[in-house]
Amino acid sequence: MKIVGRANLNWKARFFYAFRVVFLLYFVTKLKRVIFSLAVLNFHLVKSQIDTMLGERKHFVDEFGVKIKLAQSELHNKSQDWEELSKKAQESKTSWLLAGISSALDIRSPLPERPPNYTAISSDGSQIFPDRHEVLPCYLINISSVVLHYGDNSGATISSDPYLFYNDEDRFTVWDGKKIPANSNVISHKRTLMEFERLLYLIKDNSDRENVISISDGTLILWNLEGTPADFKKSILEPFLDIMEEFRNKRIPLAGYISCPGSTDVVNTLRLGLCPEKVSYCNQCPYTELPELPCAPIEGLTDRNLFSTLLKQGEMSAVFRSSSKILESYGDHHIYFFYLNIGQEIARVEIPKWVAENADMLKLVHTLVYDQAKKGKGYPVAISESHEKAVVRGKDRNFFFDLVKESMVKADFNVSISRKGISKRVPGV
Amino acid sequence: MEHIGEVIESSTKGYVAQSPKVGQSPSFGTFVKTDSTPVVYGLVYEIITQSSEPGRKPAAYDMSIDELKREQPQIFELLKTEFHVLTIAHAQSKEIKFTLSPLPPPIHSFVLECTDKEKKELSEQDFFLRTIMSSSNVPLDDLIISSLSNASKIRKNNDEYIVRMGKSLSRYFKDDYERLSSILRRIL
Repeated sequence: MKIVGRANLNWKARFFYAFRVVFLLYFVTKLKRVIFSLAVLNFHLVKSQIDTMLGERKHFVDEFGVKIKLAQSELHNKSQDWEELSKKAQESKTSWLLAGISSALDIRSPLPERPPNYTAISSDGSQIFPDRHEVLPCYLINISSVVLHYGDNSGATISSDPYLFYNDEDRFTVWDGKKIPANSNVISHKRTLMEFERLLYLIKDNSDRENVISISDGTLILWNLEGTPADFKKSILEPFLDIMEEFRNKRIPLAGYISCPGSTDVVNTLRLGLCPEKVSYCNQCPYTELPELPCAPIEGLTDRNLFSTLLKQGEMSAVFRSSSKILESYGDHHIYFFYLNIGQEIARVEIPKWVAENADMLKLVHTLVYDQAKKGKGYPVAISESHEKAVVRGKDRNFFFDLVKESMVKADFNVSISRKGISKRVPGV
Repeated sequence: MEHIGEVIESSTKGYVAQSPKVGQSPSFGTFVKTDSTPVVYGLVYEIITQSSEPGRKPAAYDMSIDELKREQPQIFELLKTEFHVLTIAHAQSKEIKFTLSPLPPPIHSFVLECTDKEKKELSEQDFFLRTIMSSSNVPLDDLIISSLSNASKIRKNNDEYIVRMGKSLSRYFKDDYERLSSILRRIL
C-alpha cells in the first residue's frame, strides 16, 4: 500500500482538500452564529461586557501586590499598639463594618491536637416557594439531619424530612402589624430557624457523646433581619436566641462556616488605622478633596486576601468581634469570628461569645472544623452532606407541583392554573 | 428468617435486590427466594456496590477499611449493594415448579436465602443448569461452577451427585470438550 502525504497530492486532490478545510471553517462559524442566535440571552452583548469587566479587574490585579504588602505591614504595626486601635474603633463612626479587637491582630494559633473521638452535627434546609400561578398556594421546606461519629463507636446518620405548609397560620405572617402572605424572605427565615431547631434536636439526641460540635453552613449573623419590622424580627430572633441559649447550657459549641468569605471587617479596621484622624467620622471626612483618601490604599482587599499571606495550614487567626448592627439584639450570644487556613483556602468561622471566651471550646472548634474541612477535601464533610440531603432541585419542584395537581384531580378537586402558569409551560409562537 | 435483600427491580427472567447493609449480599451462586406469592427461586449471578446517588461517584481515600470506618463513616451511608438474581423456579403452593413464575415478584418483596431442604430440592434435577445455560448476560461457566459447588456442599460432596450433574453437563456441551473439562476441573 502506498501512503501519500499532503505534499505529494496532485492539484485536484489539493483543491478538494482546501475546499474541505474552507467548508469546515465556514460551517463552524455558521454553527456558532446559530447557537448564539438561538439563546434567549444575547451572548454577543454579554461577551463585550465580560471583556470590559476583565479590563477593569486587571487594573486591580496590578495594584494587588502593593495593597497586600501595605496591609501586611499595617497588620504587624498595629499589633504593637492594638489597644489604641481598638479604642479608636469603638469611638469612631465609619461607613463600613469594623472588626472588634481584643488581642494583637497578627496572632497565629497552631492547630491543636484532635480528640480521637468526636461527633459532628449539621443541618441544612431547602424550599419550594409558593407560586400563585400554581394550583394551590402551599410551600415546602426540606430539612436535613447529619450526625457523624468519629473514632470508637463510629457511624453516621444522614436523613431529611419534608414539611408542607398550607394552613393560614403558615401561609401568612405578621409584618409591621399587618397580615401578609409569606414571601421568599419570610420562608427563608423560617427555614433558617427550622435548621437550628433541628440542630438542637440532634444535640439532645446525642447528649451522651463526647466532643460534640454543631456546624452550620454560612453566617450566624442574621443580618438580613435588619430593616424588617420589630414584630417579624422578634418572631425569628427570639426563638433563635433561645436555641443558642440551650446550646450554651449544654456546653455544645456552635460554629458557622463560611467558605471563600468576602468579608472585609479586619481590613476595614486597618483602613481606620490609616486614617490620620484621632477619632474618625466618615460622614465628616476632611480628606474628600485629596486625590486619594488616606484609607484608600488598601481598599478592595478582603480579610481572606490578607490572612492567606499570614496563616499557615491549620493555623487560626486572632478572634475578632463582629460589629454587625443586628448583633445588638444578640446579648450574651454576640457573634465573634476567626479565620482558618484549611489548606485549600481561608475560611471564616463564626462562633457565639461564650465559645470565643472559653479557651477549651475555642480549641475544640479550631481542631474539629479543620478536621471536618480536611475530611471533606476542602469543605466540612458534615455541611456538605447536609446540603446534599436537603437540596431541592428544579425538577423536584416541578414534580412536587405535578404531584399536588395529580392528587387533587384524583380527589375530584377543581384544578385550575393561572394563564401565566400555562403560558410559561407551553410558550406559543 | 432474616431477609438478605429487598426487590427493587423485577422482571420475568429475574430480579434485582438491594442488601440491607452495604457489602452484605449473598455470595455469587447462592440459591435465594422471595417472600412473595408465588415464591420465586433464583441464583445470585451479579453483585454490585456503588454510590446510592446517581450524580456522585466514590473516590479513593488512601485509607484501610478500618480507618475509613473511624474517620469517614458517612461514606458507608452513601453506598448501596445490589445483587441480581436469575429466576430458576417458582412455587405457587408447596410444590416447586422448574419454570419461570407466571408473575415476577412484587417490588419491595423481601429476599431470603433458601433453606438447605429447598436448596436440595432446587438442585436435585439438572433443570437449574439448563436455565443457566440458556441465559444471556450471565457469567455462564462460573455460575454453573458456583451453584454446583453449593449444591454439592449440602450433599456433603456426594460423588454420585457430582457424577450425575457432570453427565448432564456433558450432554449440554455436546462436542465442546474443552469447556466441559474446564468446568469439571474447577468443580472437583
